[in-house]
Amino acid sequence: MSDLVHDLKVKIVEFLKLDGVTPEQIDDNAPLFGSGLDLDSIDALELVVMLEAHYGIIIKDIEEGRPAFQSVRSLADFITARRRS
Amino acid sequence: MDKLVVTAASRVTEADVRAAKLGSRFGRLDLSSQLALLAVEALGLDFDAHRRDRVGICLAARAGSLSTDVEYWSGRGNAGGPSPTLFAYTLPSAAIGEIAIRHRLTGPNLCMVGGNTGLLAEAVELFRSGETDSCLCVECNVITPALAAILGTPATALACALYVVRGGAGRALGENDRDIESLCALLNPSPSIP
Repeated sequence: MSDLVHDLKVKIVEFLKLDGVTPEQIDDNAPLFGSGLDLDSIDALELVVMLEAHYGIIIKDIEEGRPAFQSVRSLADFITARRRS
Repeated sequence: MDKLVVTAASRVTEADVRAAKLGSRFGRLDLSSQLALLAVEALGLDFDAHRRDRVGICLAARAGSLSTDVEYWSGRGNAGGPSPTLFAYTLPSAAIGEIAIRHRLTGPNLCMVGGNTGLLAEAVELFRSGETDSCLCVECNVITPALAAILGTPATALACALYVVRGGAGRALGENDRDIESLCALLNPSPSIP
């Protein structure tokens, strides 16, 4: 799981082109939206693309993905659960 | 109408973009918006000294958003599809929004696409009609290598900006001043890039 969490942080920085932010600076449990990384709705769409491109996970309903996008940790949990199902 | 004068000029290139430190979200802008935003930053203006609803923004995008269009289109075969972020920049006027958001400017704006657009004349009209007290005039010329390969032209990436106000000290804006890039070259700006 920790490898996945780290991989996700790297991908988030890369995909969202976060200047001056390193994966190490991202807290596992910090909110991705509203505070923390302060991402916006376009970033959410970018994360959906990233999940499909790098993890083969397709989110067809944004409501389905909403709980997953709370934090990097919840995103990793979501990916792990989807891989098991 | 009072004479219009240019009080600041700037010229930036892709090398300046790479060195710029304009916050964590600067990287997600397309190249045209990055250049335009940086050219305005390089003017070194303090917008707190102005009424933000009276500052106009006039943008000349020589190649429109074609370079970003090509980049977006090239991503259509990717897993998950092309970048949603990039989609937001497949409008030539996107850079105006980025400048307005960063500096909280709510005055009139306009975007013209192509070379020799007469943008400065349009800016003068904004003054003449009383819509604005000052105006940012920005010209972007972005042809990425991918677009250059399609068009058979050289790649280029630069932006120039002028700040035009009513009266005061500065270089008077004449009727023959039509092209922002040429005027910037005349003024020979040596901006301090943030």
